[in-house]
Amino acid sequence: MNWLLPEGASLPFEGLEQPLLIERGLGGGSQGQVFAVQLGGERLALKWYFPACIARDPQLRERLQQSIRLGAPNRDFLWPLALLDPAPGSLGRFPAAAVGFGYLMGLRPEAFVGAHRHAGGDLAISLQCVLKACFHLAEAFHQLHLKGLCYKDVSLGNLFLEPSSGGILICDNDNVDVDGQSSGSVLGTPGFMAPEVLLGQAKPSARSDLFSLAVLLFRLLTRHDPFRGQRELEIRCLDEPARRRLYGEEALFIFDPSDPRNRPDAIEHSAALITWPIYPASLQRLFEQSFGPGLRQSEQRTLTGQWKQAISLCLDQRQLCSHCGQETFPAAGAPSTCWSCGTPLPAPLRLEMPHGLVSAAAGNELQPHHFDPLVGESIREPLARLVAHPSDPTLLGLQNLSTSRWSGRTTTGQSIELDPGKTCNLAALQQLNSSAGAILVQRP
Amino acid sequence: MPFPNVRLSNRPLHFIYLCDCSGSMAAQGKMQALNQAIRQSLPGMAEVARENPEARVLVRAVRFADQAAWHLAEPTPVQQLQWRDLEAGGITAMGDALNLVADALQSPPMEERALPPVLVLISDGQPTDDFDAGLANLMRRPWAQKAVRLAIAMGHDADLEVLQQFIGPEPSGRGKSPRRPLQASNATTLAQYIQWASTAVVGAASMPASRVAAADAGTAANSPANIPLPDLPPTLLDPSDDVGPLVW
Repeated sequence: MNWLLPEGASLPFEGLEQPLLIERGLGGGSQGQVFAVQLGGERLALKWYFPACIARDPQLRERLQQSIRLGAPNRDFLWPLALLDPAPGSLGRFPAAAVGFGYLMGLRPEAFVGAHRHAGGDLAISLQCVLKACFHLAEAFHQLHLKGLCYKDVSLGNLFLEPSSGGILICDNDNVDVDGQSSGSVLGTPGFMAPEVLLGQAKPSARSDLFSLAVLLFRLLTRHDPFRGQRELEIRCLDEPARRRLYGEEALFIFDPSDPRNRPDAIEHSAALITWPIYPASLQRLFEQSFGPGLRQSEQRTLTGQWKQAISLCLDQRQLCSHCGQETFPAAGAPSTCWSCGTPLPAPLRLEMPHGLVSAAAGNELQPHHFDPLVGESIREPLARLVAHPSDPTLLGLQNLSTSRWSGRTTTGQSIELDPGKTCNLAALQQLNSSAGAILVQRP
Repeated sequence: MPFPNVRLSNRPLHFIYLCDCSGSMAAQGKMQALNQAIRQSLPGMAEVARENPEARVLVRAVRFADQAAWHLAEPTPVQQLQWRDLEAGGITAMGDALNLVADALQSPPMEERALPPVLVLISDGQPTDDFDAGLANLMRRPWAQKAVRLAIAMGHDADLEVLQQFIGPEPSGRGKSPRRPLQASNATTLAQYIQWASTAVVGAASMPASRVAAADAGTAANSPANIPLPDLPPTLLDPSDDVGPLVW
């Protein structure tokens, strides 16, 4: 790689009291390059633009300044922190090809890997963590849109995942703009762009973000593409005109409930056929909505709040198959079988809170919104987690993740106390009074 | 339990180098520079391939001198590719090279479904055989018409006209464009262009990248070409580059 800024150099920037140490180049794209930098001992990332990129996007500087002023919607964004210009009189120390500006942002921790690796089947990640990542994604766009902003270029390429936790980071936030102010030139990424944007009928907006978000969620959950079915097989050379037909002019959801003409092929598109049945109908319906009526009518697209609700319910229903151990997500009250091995799934033991019902499976969590409907769905700070006993995995317990002591009662009427960090055995538990509210054990 | 062991189905992306190995390539270390540039570009190309779940990037190479021959005949996954040095000597059978590639782009052996192939022609001189017949033969193949065709001129003796014919119609306007022959007058620029072709262009042909509105010159979504090409890398100013009038 030919780096725009010399690795190892300390360069002066306007507004910084000390020079910035350019540690090393991290990567490059079509807009510019990203460097690991140090500022007074703090490690950060610097994106530096190609002059050509600055030239064709005259509002770039203004947009970045606006984003910096408004601040990040939440901590899942690698948001611009400060705009950097070379210090006055120091241009001679910058390579001629690098004249321009850039911005500082947080450095992406190494545990976060590109979401394309998940799509490519090259990442070990649990279904629960994929669902958590999807929840965080919906939440991030919820917060972004609530601020009156839109992202414009939602795609796999701008998302990073932490496979062990389902945490996400959204990068390349330099197209973010006030919704409806169509400054800037980015249109999005084909395959993720809303049909009206792909076909040149509309500018990117919060409404088109909702379509792209649905595509990204589908691709994370299924490792497949929502529009690649029979119609893709008819395409010999997958080039731009072909993509316009597939994702625009002739777009048809592969699982459209009323039009089966674009169903996945058993061999070419097996990923979709294996993964789609994993998810409950309540979640599938949201995709049918966004990719059915929502394809042409942007107001019909699933909203970020609806995604959050459906995904958090799905996480609550998570149950492990007693035969194969696979994660399943059966809806409460309906008989169902494991999507992986076909074994019937017995009704599980459940925990009942004032506003939520969580199946008892190791790894499932009780969240504040299960107790208080006013707080809105969030999975960032669980109050309790279901855990297996460290030496006897058949014993399932509930761990108190709060900072206060809970009291409870066993099936035999005995009182127990549960200190923060401690776990009580569910087999004997009848009820717990947590700091947030009551937890009742519902036996099938 | 892990996510089911499935992945997005992918399509092959054939990347073919057509390398001039005529005697003049032996001068001024040009042959070595080309070998080095290709070898150095491979890790970046493998990285792009890894990041593109929709593509299987397969590399081949043709050498042409007194005649054309496959230097790397087997479509090789870029991750497994070990570049063997090309050697210079002979004349410039460029038309013959196009015939070889034309045969390779017939179906079969071409797969029925694929991504647009990428053809990169590198030359430092004039064809000595029937270039026109070779080009006509190549362009009869639908896969060649769909291909992204790039050309790199090494040094100042390359025949820019034939390279432009290989690429297609010359774009309007002036200045550097990926739809014009890329002029590499030194080893650094050559390496930058080879790196660009094997990473940015492979990326554009295999996985769609962010699009920008048509206000920008040449690369936009409304481009008539079947693959919008990424910006050229910023290169050191070359004295032979057409920079426009110096004084007006």
